[in-house]
Amino acid sequence: MKLNKTYLFGLLVLQAGGVSAQDTIPSIKQLKEVEIHSSRLYNFTSGNKIEKLDSNLLNRYSTNNLADLLSNESQVFVKSYGQGSLATSSFRGAGANHTAVLWNNFNIEGPMSGMIDLSLIPVNFINDVTLQYGGAGALWGTGAVGGSILLNNSSAYNKGISIQTNTSYGSFSDKQQQASVEFSKRKFASSLKVFNHEAKNDFLYSNIAKYGKPLEKQFNAELKKYGFLQENYFQINAKQQINTRFWYQFNDRNIPPSMTQNISVSNQKDETIRLTSEWQRKAGKINLFLRAAYFDEYLRFTDSLIQIDSRSKTKTSIVEAEGRLHFTKYDLFNLGFNNTYREADSKEFSNTPHENRTAVFASYTIHTLTNSWNAVLSVRQELIKGRHLPFTSSLGTEGKILKRFSIKANIAQHFRLPTFNDLYYHGQGGKGNPDLKPESGWCEEVGIVHKYKFRKTEWDLGATVFNRNIDNWIVWIPLTPMIWAPSNVRNVWSRGVEYKMKLNYSIKKLNIQFSSMYNYIRSTVEKSALANDASVGKFLMYVPIQNAQGSVLIAYKGTSFAYVQTYTGYRFTTSDNTGYLKPYTIGNVNFSQTFVLTDIKIKLFVQLNNIWNEKYQVLSYQAMPMMNYQLGLALYFNQPNINLKKQ
Amino acid sequence: MKTKNIFYLSVMALTLTFTSCKKDDPKSDPTIPPTGSGYDNGVFIINQGAYTGGTGTISYYNRSTGSISNDIFYAKNNFPLGNIAQSMELYNGKGYIVVNNAGKIEVVDGSSFASSGTITGLTYPRFFLGIDNSKAYVTEWGASGVAGAVKVINLSNNTVSSTITTGKGAETMVKSGNFVYVTCSGGFDTDSVVTVINSNTDAVVATINVGANPKYIKADNNGKIWVLCYGQWDAAFSYLIKTGSLVRIDVATNMVDLTLPFSSIYSQPANLVINSAKSTLYYCYDSQVYSQSTTSASLDATMLINRNFYGLGIDPTNNYFFGADAGDYTSDGWVLRYTPTGTLVDSVKVGIIPGDFFFK
Repeated sequence: MKLNKTYLFGLLVLQAGGVSAQDTIPSIKQLKEVEIHSSRLYNFTSGNKIEKLDSNLLNRYSTNNLADLLSNESQVFVKSYGQGSLATSSFRGAGANHTAVLWNNFNIEGPMSGMIDLSLIPVNFINDVTLQYGGAGALWGTGAVGGSILLNNSSAYNKGISIQTNTSYGSFSDKQQQASVEFSKRKFASSLKVFNHEAKNDFLYSNIAKYGKPLEKQFNAELKKYGFLQENYFQINAKQQINTRFWYQFNDRNIPPSMTQNISVSNQKDETIRLTSEWQRKAGKINLFLRAAYFDEYLRFTDSLIQIDSRSKTKTSIVEAEGRLHFTKYDLFNLGFNNTYREADSKEFSNTPHENRTAVFASYTIHTLTNSWNAVLSVRQELIKGRHLPFTSSLGTEGKILKRFSIKANIAQHFRLPTFNDLYYHGQGGKGNPDLKPESGWCEEVGIVHKYKFRKTEWDLGATVFNRNIDNWIVWIPLTPMIWAPSNVRNVWSRGVEYKMKLNYSIKKLNIQFSSMYNYIRSTVEKSALANDASVGKFLMYVPIQNAQGSVLIAYKGTSFAYVQTYTGYRFTTSDNTGYLKPYTIGNVNFSQTFVLTDIKIKLFVQLNNIWNEKYQVLSYQAMPMMNYQLGLALYFNQPNINLKKQ
Repeated sequence: MKTKNIFYLSVMALTLTFTSCKKDDPKSDPTIPPTGSGYDNGVFIINQGAYTGGTGTISYYNRSTGSISNDIFYAKNNFPLGNIAQSMELYNGKGYIVVNNAGKIEVVDGSSFASSGTITGLTYPRFFLGIDNSKAYVTEWGASGVAGAVKVINLSNNTVSSTITTGKGAETMVKSGNFVYVTCSGGFDTDSVVTVINSNTDAVVATINVGANPKYIKADNNGKIWVLCYGQWDAAFSYLIKTGSLVRIDVATNMVDLTLPFSSIYSQPANLVINSAKSTLYYCYDSQVYSQSTTSASLDATMLINRNFYGLGIDPTNNYFFGADAGDYTSDGWVLRYTPTGTLVDSVKVGIIPGDFFFK
């Protein structure tokens, strides 16, 4: 009996891929000290800066994409080519493919470019967005260099039927429709989310590339996207759960010209299928996770003006197994195995290149009973036949000191494998280099968090200092003016400070929240294998040295108001830092009013973007819209399982 | 009480955050600021600019002082040239800057660089050639980069007056008597002809087969025209299925009377220039600059400068070489000056991707 209790104590509520067990085992609530989650994020990161974007926030951005969410609400710099266009992330002054993007534990970045377009991920398809800053190669493998974006889905059992719809109309003929239906019984939950999005994006902007800077309308920027996400969760028995997910999406976008170009007929179509499944078993001291995924991505880029019709199809299958084990109630050990097979078919590749990569990884954490202190050691080795891949490790600790402070420290190795384009591209203008080495390096960070609650006021302040080196940075350089090829050229050193503050004040039904964030990051090229490389000693291109965000949130009963202002500092546009773009400040307002009728909740919302009409460029000569709006109406309906309610 | 303090503190932190961002203004490298006038005794360097979304720029090298002024177009006119500045010619006191990806020609005063108009209606324009007081020719790759043409420009109102269809990817031109010889480089495809146009009638009078993908053309002092052909890659761009070649055309017959093929299946010849006496040709090949006498019947293979250049020019006033080094293509490039015997004199920093020169 006592033994059982001990087990229960340390053992962990299996959050079946996010399925909360709280409905079925209500008594577990008091044992919340250490829960085991499917994602390694929760039990096996320590000492890293973690930013969790809560559900209120996701709700506010429900008609936006992930790029909008991150550029407004996080310390990640989002490099956007314009409204609805390609957007990539830069964590802590690293490059676009130095972010690992994981969807329910699976890396969803395409093998060809090694990155994902954040503007293609609808916020309302994701239940939980967590940003892990800093390198974490031992945990997530390739690409987890600057940071990682962890996107998770979850569902709850026994909630009955709930239906949600969301319609919005906005500037530049932006029309969106979304709906989700969730259905759950005691041991089964199923949900379907669908969306449709169309926009012309024919916004007015001041064309600074023309005499007199005339106001012009953006053209060839139309987009159409639609997709669905279907999920099922089964509780097989007290010990086992299984889930499946199916995400389909189609995107058809015209690519607008830059201001200096005047002409564009480019178009890009993407079609993605993502299938995943996860099985979990908790029994005594051992927890097992078995996951599998299959991704199929089709991309077609056409530009009749330069005679390009480029089609590619990539397939990825991933199998991952993890076992977690307690030796005592103060520790947890994880051993995992991952096999990722990827192949790409395109006329720019001479054959159908493929890659079969196996990884073995392990983590060990020790913690106090209440998890007020913990430390994690992680290691990982990946293997590809015939290629040498780096061994990665990380060590982190965090815990409370004094009453209201906690400190964090982490040291980790990271790496990024060359993409298929880097290795195998063979077409007009360039050729890949199969002898490329992975980029790799070390990063360290130390952070302090001050949390304090006094009556109605909550105060949360965090500051982090980090340091990171990336060796063998891959750069495409011309072999001849006609043929470019990638090579391991530069060593890049990034270091900086990050600060974040949140103040929450609530009295009765009124809630006021202030928050601010600030980054100072220097990312410079330290060494180069190129003779006379003008970038040595200079800042990386398109990485802001400073950025900041401030926001005010006021909520009273069903009314809520939010104002968010972001500042992005100077960015250099040339590798020798002779050209730069000026800083910009964007202010956005969000207002919503919720009415509760008997069964239905109705929410009306208005989103005003760029209210100060800032004329700005994220990238040189790429037009950005001035003030624009979005109006929307959301309906929520929930019918509980009446017959089960009393249990 | 304490709550209040925290509140003030946080507001302060917030304002501090925003005010502290105003510093750290980056400084650009010191250069001689553009004068905005008197560009009369020097060399214009045409910098293509960053490929993706960038803008071309013009640098001016002052022969008498040896100084350089960068981005003289923007400095005078307060707007950028546009995406990929290809080439420039001075004709009848006006500068014509061909902007490839923006599909236009910016017209400026040849001495002050003040903008005096824009010629539009061009698709991938490449090079400009003045014909007479009222007429000029502009080569263009046309729709899909394969509909090669010469556009006839009416210089009195800066409009396109007619179109002369040529081979694919119409590129450089040279005038011999009343005839204009146009290389047809294939554009985004492949071609192997030189189109000959009667500049009085704008009619195509001959189409001469030369080597694969002819790119550069020069006339010598002997009634001959020299064409440098790039060669042709295999579909995977891994080797040349047709190597580059230097081809000579006799203008009396409009026939090829000499073909000098290059041996390398990996290196393409580029950047054909000719000295002021029009007796010696120079070109880049295999990361070196070679000279070629116009009287030789075979490739001289005389290496002059052991360095590769993205663009090459020769100053007709003293036969000094101007070599353009584009570096990593995302930072400011350099122009290196060499004596006629190939000795390095000096170097100056110019704009991003220097590709062509105009010697005034």
